[in-house]
Amino acid sequence: MVEYRAEVVIWILSGTLSLVMMLVWMAQADAAPGGQVRGYSAPEFASYFLSIWLVSQVLVVWVAWELDFEVRQGTLSPKLLRPMDPLWGHYAAHLAERVVRLPPLLLLVALFAWLSGASLTADPLAYLVALGLAFLGFSLRFLYEYTIGLLAFWTESSTSFQELIWLVYAALGGIFAPLAFYPPWVQQVALWTPFPYMLGLPAQLLAGKATLTDAGRGALVLLVWLVIFWVVRLAVWRAGLRKYGAVGA
Amino acid sequence: MKLLRLIRIFVGATLAAQLEYRANFLGAVLASLGEAGVALLGLAVLFGQPGTTSVGGWSFQQALLVTGFFMLTEGVISVFIQPNMSKIAEAVRTGSMDFVLLKPIDAQFNVSTRHLNALRATDLCIGAALIVYAASQLEVTWPGILLSALLYLCAVVIVYCIWLALSTTAFWFVKTQNAAELFNGVFGAARFPVTAFPLPIRALLTFVVPVAFITTVPAQAMTGTLPTALAVAAPVVAGVLLLLTRLFWLRALASYTSASS
Repeated sequence: MVEYRAEVVIWILSGTLSLVMMLVWMAQADAAPGGQVRGYSAPEFASYFLSIWLVSQVLVVWVAWELDFEVRQGTLSPKLLRPMDPLWGHYAAHLAERVVRLPPLLLLVALFAWLSGASLTADPLAYLVALGLAFLGFSLRFLYEYTIGLLAFWTESSTSFQELIWLVYAALGGIFAPLAFYPPWVQQVALWTPFPYMLGLPAQLLAGKATLTDAGRGALVLLVWLVIFWVVRLAVWRAGLRKYGAVGA
Repeated sequence: MKLLRLIRIFVGATLAAQLEYRANFLGAVLASLGEAGVALLGLAVLFGQPGTTSVGGWSFQQALLVTGFFMLTEGVISVFIQPNMSKIAEAVRTGSMDFVLLKPIDAQFNVSTRHLNALRATDLCIGAALIVYAASQLEVTWPGILLSALLYLCAVVIVYCIWLALSTTAFWFVKTQNAAELFNGVFGAARFPVTAFPLPIRALLTFVVPVAFITTVPAQAMTGTLPTALAVAAPVVAGVLLLLTRLFWLRALASYTSASS
């Protein structure tokens, strides 16, 4: 991954939706009477969306595309001969990329925070807890995207499903706006999904708007979802292998 | 005339190739719906706040017009521009650019029109439908629509020039697929009217990266709120970019040394 430093920075910069939303909301707050929208002033919007951006960078997962490629090209076959589930190889690669991504990412966050007037919390514990939540969130996202990627055994459009799931993740995770900005029924539904806890909650911790009790509850929900998707992934994997006829085999 | 005939042959050839893979159509439709969902959700949340009647001075219908132009441009990029541009880097790397240069037609024309991704035409349809719907809710005049169409033509030229310039850097850096990602990152800002951004960013999106000319300006022309200066500036920007990228392209060809030498 260190070989691809330039590309890592480009990947960081290509996920700009939360930054675009940040700028629009800041302008909205400045234009609103009282300088606030739903109790958020422009610097608070900056803090929130910059935190979202930071956390979403930790949650980036592209395993669905790799599985799609491996199944269609048949490069999955040699991996099946190894005495280890291919899942772990992908997982390790994703984790390693995170290590390369973090230094330039933190530099960019510092730069953007200075430009936009955002202020992240100074509490070291909040960073640690947010990191823990983000790690759980990343593992969960990896698992469910892996499951979607495995649909490549049956269909050629698995990566398109991935894009639709991303839309739900972005909406309920809080990339467009803090969850409290949505209609009440959407918030009610969202509480049963893992998305607000993997993205919005760690971001609110960094922005200083969530408590450690919230974080504890969020971690529990994420763990439950992790167990669910661990089972689902395994079931889909086994069913898929039975279906798999490698190219040229 | 000869060029038009060539375009017809190119289109026929790529369409025939793509209809071989009809199963991909479902995937393309899902991807288009995803794109549209992102664009509309952003707007819906912004306008869904109590007391919010405008974003950057644009009403919901007017902002929807901008979103329509955004989706239309996404379509133009994924149907006409990206399929061609993404192959330039590949051709330089493998040396197959040689064959392009040997053909008795202009190389820039050939690399720009050879391919087509008809599957993403759904983006074009969604964009056009959004524009028609938004315009039907607003008061638009025929001169406004005409001007808007003209300015959108300039917008397409601008988008093409930026993509061509980014792809042409492949002659020196070889691996530039990621340049497209960078463009998409900035282009995402075109979802919203440029006035919805803070002032310094607005200047950046108008003068440094001409994103404002792609969606905001045609929408303003249609609603009749376009400052004359911008109406004049758009064709000038498009013309200058066309000239510059042409020179850049010729310069790149001059330095091309093929893959094996």
